[in-house]
Amino acid sequence: MKAILKYISKETWSPYVAGILLGVVGVLAVWVSNSLLGASGAFENLAGMIGKAVAPVAFDNLYFNHIMPPGITWGVILLVGVFFGGLIGAATSKTLQWGKKGSTNSDMQWKRIFGPQTWKRWVLGFFGAILLEYAAGIAGGCTSGLAISGGMLLVPAAFLFIAGMFGSGILTALIIYRKQY
Amino acid sequence: MNYVIALILGSSFGFALNKAGLTKYNKVVNQFRFTDMAVLKFMMTALVVAMIGLYGLRGLGLITFPTVPATYIVGNLAGGLIFGIGMALTGY
Repeated sequence: MKAILKYISKETWSPYVAGILLGVVGVLAVWVSNSLLGASGAFENLAGMIGKAVAPVAFDNLYFNHIMPPGITWGVILLVGVFFGGLIGAATSKTLQWGKKGSTNSDMQWKRIFGPQTWKRWVLGFFGAILLEYAAGIAGGCTSGLAISGGMLLVPAAFLFIAGMFGSGILTALIIYRKQY
Repeated sequence: MNYVIALILGSSFGFALNKAGLTKYNKVVNQFRFTDMAVLKFMMTALVVAMIGLYGLRGLGLITFPTVPATYIVGNLAGGLIFGIGMALTGY
């Protein structure tokens, strides 16, 4: 028992152990709720909700009416859970830095490559996340909703997505890191 | 009730991601540099475990698969290509 508690408080688990946990969660999601784990779709549900309230004409289209209907869906609640799960994870390993100065830009490697300024992290995070969400919209899911959830059902789309993701990810890392690659 | 399940499953999901270190920029980008293979190990373990579980349960007639993500080659591939850029830049 003590060994288990000690393992839980470790900051980084073996990826195999964490992977088994995620695999079990993926099975339970289908078994109990007949749903797939996803993250990017929930943002679109929320965006649709806000959009329909603010600019109903612009959001009255095929995409937001049928493909990604707005509302508090199962996925939105799942996303709230993901937030708290990450929070609990950080709290158990005592790496939680809620509101601490510089905690939004604490990655040493990131600072070394892009510089120590926190605003750069925010700007790049914002525009990078736009790319992610837009790409997830085109592909029909993100890493969790398509690559992992689709992959475990052996959907071809998932493996196409993973191939594309790694192809351009490697290329982008190559360009950013150049000689340090 | 379904929302409670979503909350529990979601927090386990976030917990697993956090403990695997996938909430960190360096873990994600170092996968693309092949200096840290944690992302692939994590993803593939999850895939294998879930595949065995899901196909096993379906074989026993306990579950039916939900609607699977649609396959359209250009969209999936193009989406993946743009996604990779964002992923390598932000580490999300």
